[in-house]
Amino acid sequence: MKITYPHMGSLNMILKTMFEGIGVEVIDPPPSTNKTLTLGVRNSHEFACLPFKINVGNFIEALDKGADTIIMLGGIGPCRFGYYGQVQREILKDLGYDFKMIIVDPPHGRLIDFLKELASYFPNVDGKIALKSFVFAVKKMIAADKLEKFLLKYRAHEDNPGVTTKIYEEYMKKLEKAQNGKEVDKIVSEAMKKIKENANVRRKIQLKVALVGEIYMLLEPFTNMDISKSLNELGVEVTKTEYLSDYLINSAFKLPQRMEFKKNARGYLERDIGGHGLNTVANTVKYAKLNYDGVIHILPFTCTPEIVAQGIIAKISRDYNIPVMSLVYDENTGQAGYQTRLEAFVDLLYRKRMEVVC
Amino acid sequence: MSKTVGIPKGLLYYDFYPMWKTFFEGVGSKVVVSQDTNKKILDEGVKNCVEDACLPVKTYVGHVINLKEKDVDYIFIPRIVSVERKKYLCSKFLGLPDFIKSLIGDLPPIIDVEINYYKNNDEFTQNEFIKVGRMFGKTKDQSLKAYFEATHQQKKFESLLKEGLTNLEALKVWEGKNLVKEESNYDLKIAVIAHPYDIMDEYISMGIIEKLKNMGAQVYTMEMLQKDLILEGASMLSKEMFWNYERDILGAGLYFLKQKNVDGVIMVSAFGCGPNSMTEELLERLYKKAKEVPFMLITIDEHSGEAGIMTRLEAFTDLLRFNKKAVMV
Repeated sequence: MKITYPHMGSLNMILKTMFEGIGVEVIDPPPSTNKTLTLGVRNSHEFACLPFKINVGNFIEALDKGADTIIMLGGIGPCRFGYYGQVQREILKDLGYDFKMIIVDPPHGRLIDFLKELASYFPNVDGKIALKSFVFAVKKMIAADKLEKFLLKYRAHEDNPGVTTKIYEEYMKKLEKAQNGKEVDKIVSEAMKKIKENANVRRKIQLKVALVGEIYMLLEPFTNMDISKSLNELGVEVTKTEYLSDYLINSAFKLPQRMEFKKNARGYLERDIGGHGLNTVANTVKYAKLNYDGVIHILPFTCTPEIVAQGIIAKISRDYNIPVMSLVYDENTGQAGYQTRLEAFVDLLYRKRMEVVC
Repeated sequence: MSKTVGIPKGLLYYDFYPMWKTFFEGVGSKVVVSQDTNKKILDEGVKNCVEDACLPVKTYVGHVINLKEKDVDYIFIPRIVSVERKKYLCSKFLGLPDFIKSLIGDLPPIIDVEINYYKNNDEFTQNEFIKVGRMFGKTKDQSLKAYFEATHQQKKFESLLKEGLTNLEALKVWEGKNLVKEESNYDLKIAVIAHPYDIMDEYISMGIIEKLKNMGAQVYTMEMLQKDLILEGASMLSKEMFWNYERDILGAGLYFLKQKNVDGVIMVSAFGCGPNSMTEELLERLYKKAKEVPFMLITIDEHSGEAGIMTRLEAFTDLLRFNKKAVMV
């Protein structure tokens, strides 16, 4: 069995660690590129959302590399993600690929049930070893997310453009290869130290922007054209609101965080509408209250929950007097258009702050 | 004087109007419906809505504005989460009242009851309607009475659908109006699979149903199928759909494909419809693989190019007739 999976931020690193830990061969899908996107677009419905298309592209490339089993998450709605696997299986079958697709329903309730279901597909694996590799994979995930959070703040202050990104990429590679917990800790602390040493620019007006929106778009730098890097290079500190580790923790210990979302969204959106619609609304309110300078909302074209959220956060923007910009991404890869809009938005934020100063 | 409740003529109006109307009249209010969709309504909707929203939602926004201009006391925008056990509706219905409130300012009070049968009991939804009854000064018993009468009328309406009427025709009959008797020399049978709010609104669908009838085709919609037939079709899927209307679309599509009791199938969906991107993809692939029943997709949007639709329908019916002749010869 040669397992593959779709890309989603640092997910590939985590899954690789986990499956290799239990002795299963893994075929990493090649990094998402324009070719991946083209393959996905060509073989998907035009209104399928961007994550769906990139998934399809990833699968095709991984199957071409020799994978024979695909791991995919399922779901029970109301986001269409829950039916991705079924449709993608048909698409790939029609293309003539011979493979097995394992669709695991996500944890709705207890994490342990999810793990049990996943384990049932690998009957020959010792439970203890599986649990150990899972715990180690989660440790790596938390480390990667911690490092990214740090990066998004300090890259805005870097002395020489591009240096921080290089350091980050170098250490992420090291993290991927790390074999034990101690190594992971060491890599993270070293990377943080190095990034900090190279971040000494201080500004009179320091802008802070929160990135809210659909989780896949936020996690995949390829799909969002590395928006956090563009913002950092414009001197803006960025707070991303979705991380894999947060998502996992939410799923495992559902209540407290969901209560917080519901509380924040009260008066704007009264219930979970699937996908990350509620999170988007709640996070916009949260960061408006934290006096962030602006909120950027990113979503894939035709994403229904986020479209509902888009309408609602426009009102939050008026009520809290915080600039909000929604960026819709599709398969057209015109980076310049997005760059212009980001620059204009950041200019606007500066002016707004200057008014306050004067 | 009794209070007026406005019901926008869009989205699930075509499926649940009898129930809603009966209930509101049962609690002593007067029901006002927005006008049929026209250019002004659609333009207002497009102007006030998020650009990426789907066509029916934009139209709905236009209808709400139309009701606001009519000075109704309340507007009924339900939050419909689920109309069937363990099935959801598309996300837009789950957040509809919140979405509309954010888009349009100075609205009259919104009645945003939650209709939710996800757990398969009536109780939750009953309680919601009892709350509404209280707004009109009714006791629990009075509201419940109205609710039961409403569900009774709804069942009556649904049985009309099963007799082979489209939602629009069934609404007319339910309201006691006479249907214009149609000539019944149809030589084609075409199934039109779509959300009722896409094809029943004659303005945004550009009268697809009427056009097909005029071309000599008898039209079947998924609402006319008995539920067990739809479930039979849906059972061919490896995983049942978690949206009930999408399940119906797939189920009806697969049923027609299996039974081959229609000459052709047309699927109509709105531009940018998320759920349909999944169902269309599956149905189109399955139909293409089977190569037995012709299948056509029509996407509608706010650029109402009637000629384009007409050409495609004509071409499709021509093709079906050609197929039939080929078999006869």
